[in-house]
Amino acid sequence: MSETPFQINIPDKKLSILRAKLELATFPDELQDIGWKQGPPLADMKRLVERWKNGYDWRKYEKELNQELPMFTRDIDVDGFGALNVHYVHKKSKTVDAIPLLFCHGWPGSFLEVRVILPLLTAPSPEHPSFHVVALSLPGFGFSEGSHKPGFALDQYAEVIAHKLMIALGYNEYVTQGGDWGFLITRRMAAKYGGKHHKAWHTNFPMADPPNWKSPLSFLSYLVTPFSPEEKAGLERTAWYRNKSSGYFVEQSTFPQTLAYSFTDSPVALLAWFYEKLVIWTDDYKWTDDEALTWISIYWFSRAGPGAAHRIYFEVHGDFYNLGRTSYPTIPMGASYFPKELLLLPSAWLRRLNNVVSESHHTSGGHFAATERPKELVEDVRKMFAKGGPAFGIVPGRSGYA
Amino acid sequence: MSSETPFQINISDEKLSTLRTKLELATFPDELQDAGWKYGSPLVDVKRLTERWRNQYDWRKYEKDINEKLPMFTRDIDVDGFDTLNIHYVHKKSETVDAIPLLFCHGWPGSFWEVTKILPLLTASAPEHPSFHVVALSLPGYGFSEAPRKQGFGLNQYAEVAHKLMIALGYNEYVTQGGDWGCFIIRKMASVYGGRHHKAWHTNMPDQSTDLEIAPVFLVFLITSWSTKEKAGIERTKWFLTKGQGYFAQQSTQPQTLGYGLTDSPVGLLAWIYEKLVLCTDNYNWTDDEVLTWISLYWFSRAGPAASLRIYFELREDCEDMGRDPTIPMGTSYFPKELIILPAAWVRKSNNVVFESHHKSGGHFAATERPEELVQDLRKMFAKGSPAFAIVPGRSGYA
Repeated sequence: MSETPFQINIPDKKLSILRAKLELATFPDELQDIGWKQGPPLADMKRLVERWKNGYDWRKYEKELNQELPMFTRDIDVDGFGALNVHYVHKKSKTVDAIPLLFCHGWPGSFLEVRVILPLLTAPSPEHPSFHVVALSLPGFGFSEGSHKPGFALDQYAEVIAHKLMIALGYNEYVTQGGDWGFLITRRMAAKYGGKHHKAWHTNFPMADPPNWKSPLSFLSYLVTPFSPEEKAGLERTAWYRNKSSGYFVEQSTFPQTLAYSFTDSPVALLAWFYEKLVIWTDDYKWTDDEALTWISIYWFSRAGPGAAHRIYFEVHGDFYNLGRTSYPTIPMGASYFPKELLLLPSAWLRRLNNVVSESHHTSGGHFAATERPKELVEDVRKMFAKGGPAFGIVPGRSGYA
Repeated sequence: MSSETPFQINISDEKLSTLRTKLELATFPDELQDAGWKYGSPLVDVKRLTERWRNQYDWRKYEKDINEKLPMFTRDIDVDGFDTLNIHYVHKKSETVDAIPLLFCHGWPGSFWEVTKILPLLTASAPEHPSFHVVALSLPGYGFSEAPRKQGFGLNQYAEVAHKLMIALGYNEYVTQGGDWGCFIIRKMASVYGGRHHKAWHTNMPDQSTDLEIAPVFLVFLITSWSTKEKAGIERTKWFLTKGQGYFAQQSTQPQTLGYGLTDSPVGLLAWIYEKLVLCTDNYNWTDDEVLTWISLYWFSRAGPAASLRIYFELREDCEDMGRDPTIPMGTSYFPKELIILPAAWVRKSNNVVFESHHKSGGHFAATERPEELVQDLRKMFAKGSPAFAIVPGRSGYA
């Protein structure tokens, strides 16, 4: 059950099936002047499919990833589910006592999202803390095996990372950074393993409940305090997400298998569904076609197949606001607010229910912070654990400094 | 503006071979152990249907069958503020000269094809019951009708097309039958053209509310004693509103995103629609060929399958404010596996319900599942001695 080095090496057969399907691609028409209103525009889709078919060089990007990201696999036994072979990036800093940090992606993200922040987090310097970084592919994503049985939910995801992977890597105590599902999973870890193993957590996707009448003072304060312009904009963004950008969520959390057939049979189907998110969930991020295609190719070529990853929505079912709401974590928390995130709630709500020790409010950036604002995200994480910072030395013996 | 042109379905060989080539390259996801229907269309069904579609299913046979059974036409209909749309429809007259003109209006994922079983029954002549001249259109964007090219084609426009078609066919006064979107469209026709032209309407999906209005039903449920039947209806409604809204949420917000997949992948389209055919019916024993014909009509549709989704986006706001309640006589048929089943008292409160029937079996696709019962209901609604008898002057439905 030990670690095996891993290199991505998609078989030629898979590449040629992809090409064959792209060659047969058929497109719908489009309403006049529709722009992005109903999905990615036809011109974008045709251009991306053409590039993917002719010109996009998977082998080049596969090689780059293999060179940049030290990757491994190992079997992780999950109670009730058997052993799953989990894929992860693991890079140690040159600073021996760097802080072990687990980076947890979400959907439609992947381990790929650690790419730009990895050298920044591991960089040694007397001016800021350094990190040993682990970035796994969640089971069912990237090159990790997916669960074969129903019921693989937050507890299981949390168990894989916290209780098994980090410990197996020799990190008995560690911190985490996550967004999207990464937020919910690291939150569950904090609730279950916080204190003893999981020492602090940072997120760029801070979700919190509004105050309700059960806490009269907070509720009263909530009623009479006017929202700041930032908060108003955040609530509008949240309303937009819930009204206009949540269709995927309802389908994926009710009939994921029905959707899986499209994703698995048609690279065009997958491209449309994912590219839409890459664009409308970011803050005007200038995706190059190849960047978008590499992101989506990871899903197309994923070990469990493109139809598996979004089962997480079904398994962790229920209203998104109610997810993972067992107990509130008490370990120190850091939060970064990016204005084009999807759910942006007044930060007072987060502080009321969590031990928020570090907070940053940015004026640009969206859902995929590690891709859009890597420097800012890393600054935020460094600030939390810096000498003099609120979570300095939280992992005993691993301060992040030489 | 072309007047009526006879129409026969004749899908090109090229389209057939593109379909076959795609099916030959079909790749499937895995499936969780013992998933059954819990996560969506089961793998074993989708594989079996794909295999049949690729190898044994004979489109030409069913194409011929449709051409023989359904007299079809196309004609141009001008839509105010939009382009002229070439509309495809079935039109069959009864031998009873004074039969009642009836428009049958489908929804999604339905089609004109749903009229097949009820057509001979509705047009049949007999002294014991009224007969109908039947028109079954393909809504714009469906079947072999053109789709609108501009945004904003809403409920008023769908109603306008249907109404103008009836007028063009010489039916200045008519009645309607519809379910799913068909129900919303004929309801709008009742509001806009009711009285003067549209004389009565019947639906197998009596639904007057959006989600917001239905919520109080659950509260009331807690304090009122409903009948067993009504409780079952509320449970079904709850299931649909909590577990069955995925397609609706996607199609009403980002239809084109989904449309790319349904246009490129016949397997994707198959899975998407097949799920509805099974979950929305009452244990209807679909044959594989029936399913494949149903879905082929979407695959081979004139505007392509993506166009059919746009109605959800365009009508989202229309349906939140349906305007004033219709006053023309209404008939309702309740089938226990329909998707939204409101207590009949609620529907009677806002409508001029002159006919109501409650069935012990049947679901969303009534014309397919319970054709005889549906036709019986229509015959009763317009029979001699009933409140809607001879509602279309001079066209009582009898010899």
